[in-house]
Amino acid sequence: MCNETISRRGVYPARVLLNEAICREHYRLRLKLAVFPPSRAGQFVQLQCRPLTPPPDEIVTDWPDDRPPSFTQPELIGAEPLLRRPLSLAGRQDEPDGARLEILYRAIGAGTHWLAGVKSGETLSVLGPLGNSLPIIENKPIAALVGGGVGIPPMLYLAGALRQAGKNVTAFCGSRTKDLLPLSAGPAPADPHGKPSLCAAEFAAADTPTVLATDDGSLGVRGFVTEAFAGWLDARKDAPEALVVYSCGPEAMMRRVGEVCIARGVECYLSLERHMACGMGTCQSCVVKIRDETPRGWSYKLCCTDGPTFAAKDVIWE
Amino acid sequence: MESATHDPHTDVDLSVSLAGVALSNPLMTASGTCGYADEYADFVDLRELGAFVTKSITVSPRAGNEYPRVVETRAGMLNAIGLANVGLEAFLSEKVPKLEKLGLPVFVNIAGSTVEEYLAVAEAMERVDIVRGCELNISCPNVKAGGIQFGVDPDAVESVTARVKNACRTKKLIVKLSPNVSDITATAAAAVAGGADALSLINTFTAMAVDIETARPILANRTGGLSGPAIRPIAVYMVHRVYTQVARQAGVPIIGMGGIQYARDAVEFLLAGATGLAVGTALFVDPGCIVEIKRGLTNYLIQHGYTSIREIIGTLRME
Ligand SMILES: Cc1cc2nc3c(=O)[nH]c(=O)nc-3n(C[C@H](O)[C@H](O)[C@H](O)COP(=O)(O)OP(=O)(O)OC[C@H]3O[C@@H](n4cnc5c(N)ncnc54)[C@H](O)[C@@H]3O)c2cc1C
Ligand SMILES: Cc1cc2nc3c(=O)[nH]c(=O)nc-3n(C[C@H](O)[C@H](O)[C@H](O)COP(=O)(O)O)c2cc1C
Ligand code: FES
Repeated sequence: MCNETISRRGVYPARVLLNEAICREHYRLRLKLAVFPPSRAGQFVQLQCRPLTPPPDEIVTDWPDDRPPSFTQPELIGAEPLLRRPLSLAGRQDEPDGARLEILYRAIGAGTHWLAGVKSGETLSVLGPLGNSLPIIENKPIAALVGGGVGIPPMLYLAGALRQAGKNVTAFCGSRTKDLLPLSAGPAPADPHGKPSLCAAEFAAADTPTVLATDDGSLGVRGFVTEAFAGWLDARKDAPEALVVYSCGPEAMMRRVGEVCIARGVECYLSLERHMACGMGTCQSCVVKIRDETPRGWSYKLCCTDGPTFAAKDVIWE
Repeated sequence: MESATHDPHTDVDLSVSLAGVALSNPLMTASGTCGYADEYADFVDLRELGAFVTKSITVSPRAGNEYPRVVETRAGMLNAIGLANVGLEAFLSEKVPKLEKLGLPVFVNIAGSTVEEYLAVAEAMERVDIVRGCELNISCPNVKAGGIQFGVDPDAVESVTARVKNACRTKKLIVKLSPNVSDITATAAAAVAGGADALSLINTFTAMAVDIETARPILANRTGGLSGPAIRPIAVYMVHRVYTQVARQAGVPIIGMGGIQYARDAVEFLLAGATGLAVGTALFVDPGCIVEIKRGLTNYLIQHGYTSIREIIGTLRME
């Protein structure tokens, strides 16, 4: 049972257990937190991408009596970014000594490049868990997950949760080329014609057959993952009401997945990305246009708190 | 960390009086960085603050600007939110009950595109007990309705201040100044002449960030307001100028803001002449920073032999 204090979202210190490259641009980060509130697939954290041990004492004006302050200016500590970086939870395990959080990230800019240099044993600051979650729907026994690039991590967390709920799950993952896919091979080979197999170790661990697609055909199906998914969907004999589809990845990919599902009467949820300052619903920076009953036909919703998951039918694309 | 026997922290007095409103400590939220308080409920006990300042309220709800609305820059960020807010009616029915539960003095930041719009919000606040005053936003750089047209011309500052002051019969009036002027002491003096009970400075600097691949501004609004540690040295300078040239003589307190993240930053503003201290962008990084700043301020005062924070306000030595 969790008590009141750990059921609240908050800022928690996290020890780095592992931070390793998994392909050309992606890293796996495993964190250990003595306490962390309950979380669900689709939620994310705001990770501070700068050292936790500084700020030096004099900056918080708490210097020891025997050492005169040196008045370091905080801006001079380093070139690390000020704001936190939103990263999805890719999985979670609860052990007697605390929670293990799994994060997969792509090193692309100032924050994530700094993160890639973090060593095991160092401490990071985690703010979360944030956002709504990918819903697990009772009367939908069959689920498909469509992930592209850095949209794959939340799909991993979700695959585990769906399998626990006894669902039939198939995953579709895409990238430009083989060594940009943030997944490990095996145990089965990837099928070049789009037949699901246990070809991605991380999904295989959740007993989820997977279809891999690369734009250049270097692994799995050649072409876009959305087309492999659409082909699979069209070949199924199930009633559309029995199916639910979840997707996270580049906007063009999610848009196409949404269109494919809506055209076939299949329920579909998308996990969107927006530039965020706070992640807590205060700054109003992360807006998404969502269809509603207002005279204008839409309202801005916040990706960080109303989302990041929205029903595909409600999203208004720019 | 904890001292076993006696806690010197309780011997230090952090309380200040802001134009007659008693605050347990100088720390406040900067408008627009704290929503309407309930957003941060999980992350920090806001009762650690001396006062709460709301997001700007306009008569009608505003959806705000197109996305993208923020971009991070070195040691700061640009925002062009566009005064997205729930509007006066929803503020009164939905947000005020939550603010009442806070148990803190509340200042409501008000914005508008005409004097009548400011007056409508200010009049409505007269009937809300928890609200101790209005902060007149004549300095939002991101929308026409943000009142910047009132904020850069001293004559306009004086007349809008005087008219809103008339509507604030039982409430204090704080005027929030724009740094986007050539001489901030002129607009500060105009606000004081118009009857301002306190001055807030500074709002954000109009700025632009460019996507060099597309050769276009990054923000949908093209320009945005720069905030965060990057602006702190200019903010401290402006607070000091306004304090020494306008506010001290007039007996009008200053709420200093712009890049406060650590206690040492807060001390700079106090020495420069600020009575209140507002924290904005730093709350996005960690809402709990207000607790750390308070603790650091107390340590600073103890280490320098002061018993009250009021002893250091405006004591910057220029000789
Ligand atoms: C809800 C959510 C979940 C995410 N989950 C993951 C994940 O599991 N793995 C992963 O690798 N990435 C994920 N991202 C994207 C990740 O946040 C960005 O790649 C990261 O912020 C880039 O930071 P940077 O400093 O390396 O890049 P820079 O380009 O230097 O960042 C500059 C600024 O832009 C923001 N930014 C840049 N790219 C993005 C983006 N795609 N989305 C949002 N903000 C961005 C940064 O936060 C920062 O404020 C997620 C984004 C969101 C919104
Ligand atoms: C995202 C964001 C939204 C803001 N919204 C408002 C607002 O609605 N009204 C206002 O008067 N100031 C607004 N401000 C300005 C702040 O209140 C403050 O004056 C400024 O950010 C400088 O302080 P800081 O560097 O601590 O953030 C906003 C600032 C940010 C970053
Ligand atoms: S990121 Fe601040 S409101 Fe969503």
